[in-house]
Amino acid sequence: MSSHAGTIDHHHDPSTSTGIPNKKLLMWAFLASDCMFFATLISTHLIYRLHPPAGGLDPKKIFSIELTSFSTFILLMSSLMMALAVTAIQKNNVKSCRWSLLTTIFFGMIFLGCQVYEFEHFVHEKKMTLSNSMLGTTFYTLTGTHGCHVAIGVLWLSLMYVRSFKPAQPDPQRRRWFSRNLLHALVLVAALLLSLKVTLALVHAIQVEPTFGSALSHFVRGDFIYLVGMLLSFGGLVWFARPAGPVDFNERHAVDVEGMGLYWHFVDIVWIVIFTVVYLLEYLK
Amino acid sequence: MSAPSASAATHDAGHSGEAHGHEESKYQIYVQIAMLLAVITGLEIVAVYLPFAKWLLITALVIMSIVKFMFVIFYFMHLRWDKPFCTILFFIGLVLAGGTALALIALFAAEASVPLPSL
Repeated sequence: MSSHAGTIDHHHDPSTSTGIPNKKLLMWAFLASDCMFFATLISTHLIYRLHPPAGGLDPKKIFSIELTSFSTFILLMSSLMMALAVTAIQKNNVKSCRWSLLTTIFFGMIFLGCQVYEFEHFVHEKKMTLSNSMLGTTFYTLTGTHGCHVAIGVLWLSLMYVRSFKPAQPDPQRRRWFSRNLLHALVLVAALLLSLKVTLALVHAIQVEPTFGSALSHFVRGDFIYLVGMLLSFGGLVWFARPAGPVDFNERHAVDVEGMGLYWHFVDIVWIVIFTVVYLLEYLK
Repeated sequence: MSAPSASAATHDAGHSGEAHGHEESKYQIYVQIAMLLAVITGLEIVAVYLPFAKWLLITALVIMSIVKFMFVIFYFMHLRWDKPFCTILFFIGLVLAGGTALALIALFAAEASVPLPSL
């Protein structure tokens, strides 16, 4: 696909009365409403932190600032890659857009992996569950809702990535194209879930075993099948991504990628607030 | 379909040319902002361990979060280059959300509204 600069003005649309593409306007209206949704969750958490019930858990003994800082950094970098994906498709550079989308998906999965690990650690090691303390209730509800937003974002990114392979020529056997891309999407989702499972299983093995060698044999004994599945799904992704003629994905679809990007950046700014309010403020003496 | 059409944009050549000037420099802007955000995040983490007054640290953390927030919405989310109506629309939600949060916190700070300690 060519990478020449396009001729579309992506910030103004003369065909609408507002001069803004309707899809973009819809996304901004949705994000404005989502602000209120998260504001209520964040303020509920803050209220119970300002007035903690007697005998409650101490967040400083539960939270891991290192892990949270790492996942915050990852989410910031994913925002950068998302912004680059939008710029790439605005310049009609489909290949660069695909790579940026894949990197954003990768960073999103790392963030989700950190959150799954964090929740698992808090429940099993720190004994903080959704129902045994007010801190657990407000914390899991708030960060879990944010995590759901990230998961939806990853799914949307994955579908957009698969969408970028739609052939440009009208397909007489339309069903074949549809089933091929449905399979492509399924393989991508399977690859993401299996990668998450394999990474978490490897981290768990390293934690429970004294040496790296024994951890590796522990991992191979218990989770080898997932590793095989992951490698097979990666192979499938490479096969699906092979060049197959011109595609119906170009500068004209930039507004779709931009709408998705707005959602992804919103997830990032919500985390900027959560990171400060929920985590950092607890460490003040 | 509201997607901008190439033919319509071609008529507005002056505007389009200006927009392309922005496109050229966006890559560098994005990378610089991402680095800045990473540095601010690092400063936030260091700040919580500094032996300063609590009110000062809370103020510093809030300001740093607001700076990060603004950089993301105005640059990564393109509000800087988009029509002002997008900014107004989003800030309506943001102000309502912030007002709701402040009202709830103030409401529960009143003695009669403090959550029961037995919960």
